[in-house]
Amino acid sequence: MEIRPIMSALMRSKVSMILIGLQVALTLAIVCNALFIIVERAHLMNRPSGMNESDTFVFGSNGFSEGFEPYSVMQSDLALLRGLPGVVDATTTNSTPLSGGGWSTGISLAPKQKTPTADTTLYFVDAHGVNTFDTHLIAGRNFKPEEITQMDQGLRIQPSVVIVTKALADKLFPDGNAIGKSIYMDEDPPTSTIVGIIDKLQEPWVSSKDIENTLLVPGYIPYGKFTRYLVRTEPGRRDELMKEAEQKVGAANTGRIVGKMRSMEQLRHEAYANDRAMMIILSVVIFCLLTITALGIVGMASFWVAQRTKQIGTRRALGASRGAILRYFLTENFLITTGGLILGGVLTYGLSLWLLANTDGAHLLPWYYVPMGFLCLWVLGQIAVLGPATRASRVAPAVATRSV
Amino acid sequence: MFGYYLELGLRSLRRNPVLTALMVIGIATGIAASMTTLTVMYLLGNDPIPWKSSKLHYVQMDNWDVNNPYGSDGKPPDQVTYEDAQALMQAAKADKQAAMFKISLPIQPENKELKPFQSLGRATYSDFFGMFEPPFRYGSPWNHDQDKEHARVIVLGKDLNEKLFGGQDSTGKTLRINGTDYSIVGVLDDWKLRTRYYDLTNGAFSDPDEFFFPYTTAIDLKQRSSGNNSCFKTPGDGWDAYLQSDCVWQQMWVQLDSPARLAEYQSFLDNYVNEQKKLGRFARPLNNHLLNVTQWMKDQKVVSRDVEVQTGLGFAFLIVCLVNTIGLLLAKFTRKSGEIGLRRALGASKRDVFTQFLIESGVVGLSGGLLGLILTGFGLLAVRALYEEYKTVAQLDWSMIAVTIVLAVVSALLAGLYPTWRACSVQPAAQLKV
Amino acid sequence: MLKMSHLSKIYRTHMVETHALRDFSIHVREGEFVAVTGPSGSGKTTFLNIAGLLEEFTGGEFFLDGVDVKGMNDNARSKLRNEKIGFIFQSFNLIPDLNIADNVDVPLRYRGFNGAERKKRIDEALTRVGLASRMKHYPSELSGGQQQRVAIARALAGSPRLLMADEPTGNLDSLMARGVMELLEEINRNGTTIVMVTHDPELAARAQRNVHVIDGQVTDFDEEPRLREPGRKGTDDNHAEATLA
Repeated sequence: MEIRPIMSALMRSKVSMILIGLQVALTLAIVCNALFIIVERAHLMNRPSGMNESDTFVFGSNGFSEGFEPYSVMQSDLALLRGLPGVVDATTTNSTPLSGGGWSTGISLAPKQKTPTADTTLYFVDAHGVNTFDTHLIAGRNFKPEEITQMDQGLRIQPSVVIVTKALADKLFPDGNAIGKSIYMDEDPPTSTIVGIIDKLQEPWVSSKDIENTLLVPGYIPYGKFTRYLVRTEPGRRDELMKEAEQKVGAANTGRIVGKMRSMEQLRHEAYANDRAMMIILSVVIFCLLTITALGIVGMASFWVAQRTKQIGTRRALGASRGAILRYFLTENFLITTGGLILGGVLTYGLSLWLLANTDGAHLLPWYYVPMGFLCLWVLGQIAVLGPATRASRVAPAVATRSV
Repeated sequence: MFGYYLELGLRSLRRNPVLTALMVIGIATGIAASMTTLTVMYLLGNDPIPWKSSKLHYVQMDNWDVNNPYGSDGKPPDQVTYEDAQALMQAAKADKQAAMFKISLPIQPENKELKPFQSLGRATYSDFFGMFEPPFRYGSPWNHDQDKEHARVIVLGKDLNEKLFGGQDSTGKTLRINGTDYSIVGVLDDWKLRTRYYDLTNGAFSDPDEFFFPYTTAIDLKQRSSGNNSCFKTPGDGWDAYLQSDCVWQQMWVQLDSPARLAEYQSFLDNYVNEQKKLGRFARPLNNHLLNVTQWMKDQKVVSRDVEVQTGLGFAFLIVCLVNTIGLLLAKFTRKSGEIGLRRALGASKRDVFTQFLIESGVVGLSGGLLGLILTGFGLLAVRALYEEYKTVAQLDWSMIAVTIVLAVVSALLAGLYPTWRACSVQPAAQLKV
Repeated sequence: MLKMSHLSKIYRTHMVETHALRDFSIHVREGEFVAVTGPSGSGKTTFLNIAGLLEEFTGGEFFLDGVDVKGMNDNARSKLRNEKIGFIFQSFNLIPDLNIADNVDVPLRYRGFNGAERKKRIDEALTRVGLASRMKHYPSELSGGQQQRVAIARALAGSPRLLMADEPTGNLDSLMARGVMELLEEINRNGTTIVMVTHDPELAARAQRNVHVIDGQVTDFDEEPRLREPGRKGTDDNHAEATLA
């Protein structure tokens, strides 16, 4: 098509052209990078925690009455919970995935090792732990009831047996024969023996870089008089059982506070609240930006059409078809957008590099975002200019002979 | 003449309602995006105690593992051990000093209609109140002697006093917490903190502390912190071993009233750590920090990276909107070149034309700013809905309203400047013969 | 009233230098009705633009009502233009967004008159052209002839001493054109000097004096107003001057 005459016409209204091009360039840079951040956050949020989230809830019990015996209360509470119709299983645990608070430690393979081989979180659970989390043993065995010990926060933690996630096992023993191996949680013996491997269970901290490293300790460790329970129900019965558990456990012993009742879905919602907010905000920015840019193109194109009405009429009078006029404006927009996009491609990587340099854990924008962005803005530009261009194509040839 | 130009501007804007709406909405959304994000960032990073933030210093000492630094960036731990906090409190070398830690305990109301409930509080020293200056509604802080005596005294926050005593003066009454009776010595008034800056290690935006009692009392009762606790090696068995361990779980603040006092304290701290080194502790190189309030907030990234990125994008968006407005105004003013030429012929000077069109862009800017202000209100509402923890910072305050209006008008005038300049360089003669 | 001596105007673009006027001299006296004629491209419009203070000139001298215009800044020129000159254009040049009264109001605003004074002048000017009843109408609601009358009212409202008319009847049919011409003649009779640019010999014939411009120079002129003595045409001097003793 007639690109050269369009170009020379454009060169005579440089400023308008530059403005639209600049707008397109900035839009490309912002949209690509914002979209990439959204995709990365979505990726983070979609990581499975390794446990059953839909049917599981947690709550706490904090004793205050004199003579409150957390250990015996815990045992009767667990019996009560496991006996509730609809409850699949229950355990005590100090923490859960997605909760944002827990216990972490370094694991060594030798005494007095200077730097731990791996960092991991510890979940203190009983023999029902693996089943309540609904994670799966892929090697070895579960804890035996007699292995569950009563622990104290003020005492050294060194269980005789532990279960680890596959990720942690692979990190500690890359050769893959972790079962039966000994690990150190402190610089001196005794050691703990790995008896089982589960496929997956995340740490409590969603931003941890070792998020897949988890170690189960067979033990009960109250925090003062505080105990946390994890309960898994039959599918669909979680909400009713949350109410029932709170009421029945509360009634079983009134010398304590039952609270912090949370479903795992709530915990997930809270854990990723900031990421979700960031995604929503960036989506809104992208939407507004594309709208403004499209409207800007509509506005400018309308103006150009109005300004050139007489010229268009003359062209029509000289034999240009409606299609030719339409194509003229579409081509013009394509040229301007392309110019802007080329500049925008540079800006996009400039912005990406800046984000990379200033943000922990950021990645460089993958290359395919730029051509995708090109495509989107080309389409957007063509759609935006279609209205004014159609109006231009309807200009009557008679306009040419009209005097004013 | 201003009135005439204003009238012309309004008339011209009414003449192309769609174009005008486009420009106003463009500026408004740009302003709203940038001001919403800027407000959150500004209020997050805002100095919570400007009159003395440079005097309050957070103490950090590097007692960590010789082989593994606490933070990957080589920073010392963000809290201190019980032993070090005690040593600094007893030395009392600062003008005021307070060690503290977060506690979470069951409150047992005397009123049987209220069920016992869990409440967050703080164990600290009496200097805390003189350093951070919470307002008192009733009574006063406990005194230094009560610190020494491990007194069972307590200061209640406004909300807790409201809940337990219906907002009455409860000083002199007794409150049972986790089986221990405390005598109420003071009740705070509204203490609106955007960020709980005195304890950033346990979430800057967590709920406010509902009660305060002496640190010494908490230690007496073997009360562990409910905040973060970090150890690089297992503490020995038992409470006393825990207190003597290198686990960090307390925050230490000192008030130093002059730069000279700060320098003195810095050398005192260095001496202290060097003495400790002789006893076999502090195996890492000397790395003591005494950051003031604003430095500490920056160090702890109270303004998160996400918020900074959002603000950056907000302003980039504003630039796009401005470029958009420049284009549209340019289009509009160019269409008016006939009228401009005519006005010039009828005796309007360049300055007349300049003023007329700048006022027109000013009107666009002002309307955009006002609409933008309303949209900013909605934007902040949305931020509050999205970020539970920003409920105290996603608020319009007067300075930000002023900034919004100024930003809008300046933006629109800037955007209008080039088109206006072009408009008044129209030769009076050129357009007259059509 | 208007005196130009050896005036020149050169348009320069980066490629070409065009001499629009060279050694152009003319003297229009108070109360005259002068028609400037010439083929298109002869420099009539340039003359009108310079005479109307719309454009600057390159060389020579120009006195408007005794004021030396040379080197005046934009503000001073705008003020002078506003006070002394009224314009009538071929295509009327009314502002479509403004109603009739507001169109007439435009130069009065720049003049700095107060509201009462402006209203009085608008009323007078529109009454004079017979359109006082159409004050609230918009230009698009009027016929061509009526629009030109509004333009004349606008030109008169500030009581200028000099009226510059550029093909005032060019866009009008003959009936309307006659009406406009009669109005101009009446205005001239009341003492306003009129300089009219036209290429229509019939129209030019109705003026008191004709100045013929070809190629940027005055080639043909009536030395004296026709009313005082019959037209004397032609000159053999290529560097003719319209200067009158």
